[in-house]
Amino acid sequence: MQPIVQIRNLCRVYRQGEIEVAALNNVSLDIVEGGFTALMGPSGSGKSTLLHIIAGIDRPTNGSCAVRGVNVAELSETELAEWRNSQIGFIFQTFNLIPVLSAFENVEMPLLLTSLSGAERRAHVEAALELVGLQDRMHHLPRQLSGGQEQRVAIARALVTDPTLIVADEPTGNLDARAAMDVLELLTVLNRDAGKTIIMVTHDPRAAGYARRVLHLEKGELLRDEEIKSV
Amino acid sequence: MTAAGFIVRNALRNKRRLSLTILSVALSLFLFVTLQTALRELTEPQTSADAALRLITRHRLSVATVLPQKYLNRIRQVPGVVAVSQFTWLGGIYQDEKNFFPQFAVDADTIFRVMTEISVDPLQVAAFAKERTACIVGIKTMERFGWKVGDRITLLSQIWNCSPELVIRGVYSGGIDESNLFFHHDYFDELMDGFGKTGAFWMRVRDEASVQPVIDAIDSSFRNSEAETKTETERAFQLGFVSMFGNIQMLIGSISTVIVFTMLLVTASTMSMAIRERMREIAVLKVIGFNGREIFGLILAESFGLAVVGGILGCGGARLLYGSVDIYSLTQGFFTKFEVTPHIFVSGLLLAGALGVFSCLAPAWASIRMSVLDGLREVD
Repeated sequence: MQPIVQIRNLCRVYRQGEIEVAALNNVSLDIVEGGFTALMGPSGSGKSTLLHIIAGIDRPTNGSCAVRGVNVAELSETELAEWRNSQIGFIFQTFNLIPVLSAFENVEMPLLLTSLSGAERRAHVEAALELVGLQDRMHHLPRQLSGGQEQRVAIARALVTDPTLIVADEPTGNLDARAAMDVLELLTVLNRDAGKTIIMVTHDPRAAGYARRVLHLEKGELLRDEEIKSV
Repeated sequence: MTAAGFIVRNALRNKRRLSLTILSVALSLFLFVTLQTALRELTEPQTSADAALRLITRHRLSVATVLPQKYLNRIRQVPGVVAVSQFTWLGGIYQDEKNFFPQFAVDADTIFRVMTEISVDPLQVAAFAKERTACIVGIKTMERFGWKVGDRITLLSQIWNCSPELVIRGVYSGGIDESNLFFHHDYFDELMDGFGKTGAFWMRVRDEASVQPVIDAIDSSFRNSEAETKTETERAFQLGFVSMFGNIQMLIGSISTVIVFTMLLVTASTMSMAIRERMREIAVLKVIGFNGREIFGLILAESFGLAVVGGILGCGGARLLYGSVDIYSLTQGFFTKFEVTPHIFVSGLLLAGALGVFSCLAPAWASIRMSVLDGLREVD
């Protein structure tokens, strides 16, 4: 399998006044195409920072992070926005749907930046919502949906542009056990059946159990790289 | 969904705040348009086509200083003068101080040859001319007091020591002011015990080519005399009259500036609040691929739209209101038409649009500069 993400000697240092805090310290790793990788570790381990750099919403202090050969750190803000639109689908812990838009319109938002016609956009959105099992809720506002349904809309929004990578930051953190399981099963289906490459940050070992590979981070360093044989 | 649809949804998310902001912009624009219309009315008095051929000779010192009556014959003989009439402001009231309207002592045989744009029944003109205490009144004043031809009225002058007792012999209409009352200067002189003075001389000249020669001839004729004159066109005379109010342009300009600045603060405050509570969503937009220019465009369009809707309500409301009410009666003749011209209307809308743009610049810039991670950390 070809590596889709290549990270080399990645460092991220935050400055808080006079104090420097190293969130990531010399991390190097590859993530292969079609993989389902979980990033685990305690709070402050650097797992979210690593995910943010891979997704192009943070920049490394040193080192490189290349996705499909593109060093994300070298892109300008405008190039980065365009790159995120086409290459990254982001799933947040708190769903982050736009409250004044329906499920359909929330999923359609990333497509407004593409050259697709209205009819093409509609077809893509309907397909994405069908994939997450919400075709009958497409005209509901976020407040009319349960937490699990909101997260499924967010997943549809993340995959509607057919991105290279789907990144998820604690996607089950705000869900009850049942809804969390549904979301994790959905991510598994997307990975297994649709071939999507998924990187997921979690501190929950049960959630990490859905991944095929678990990377353990601690104090900004890669502690352990673990292959999971079966779910 | 379109980008425009998204902008409208965002604008409508807090309907109470939206309504109050639009209302405040609309009221400010209404006030702005009102002031600009008042300024126009005061500084650009309406003139009829005939006014171009009408000249006024007054005392060189001020409009309030009288001229010797004997000047009349010399002015009459100036080449190019077709007709001339004395014109003295009575400054009277009818029964009560609030019943004020313009009254002038004039020469009955020439006044309607000078004021050619007003129309009166020739029989009424004849009746007016042959009766010393007769008067002719504009239609608006007749309606205001419910007078009829033949009624007897007494005016009490607030300037001169006299109270003319008049009988209405005619009604005129047309011209730019239908509220005047004209009565005999001879009668005024008699009441003033042979006063021998007049407020001004109003005249009509033969053609436009005669205007400047007549002005020069009259003023040079009375130079170094006991009462030097200033002869000017009707429009120049009216502007001089307005200048007696002081620097009204500066006053209204200052008030308008305060209104515009207040409007800017209101709109900017609303946009800041609206964007501040949406920082997290703006960060999400950035995550899904919106760049700074696109986010700036969304914010700008929302602010611009909000201000322009307020502008349309304010400017349109003023145009409708002033177009439908009798501003003349409402202001007791101070303003005659009070027309919100297309120029003022469009100026108001442009101002609203400009305010919409300027008021969103700071919050839009802040949202562009905000990092995605800082935005995602914002608490709803």
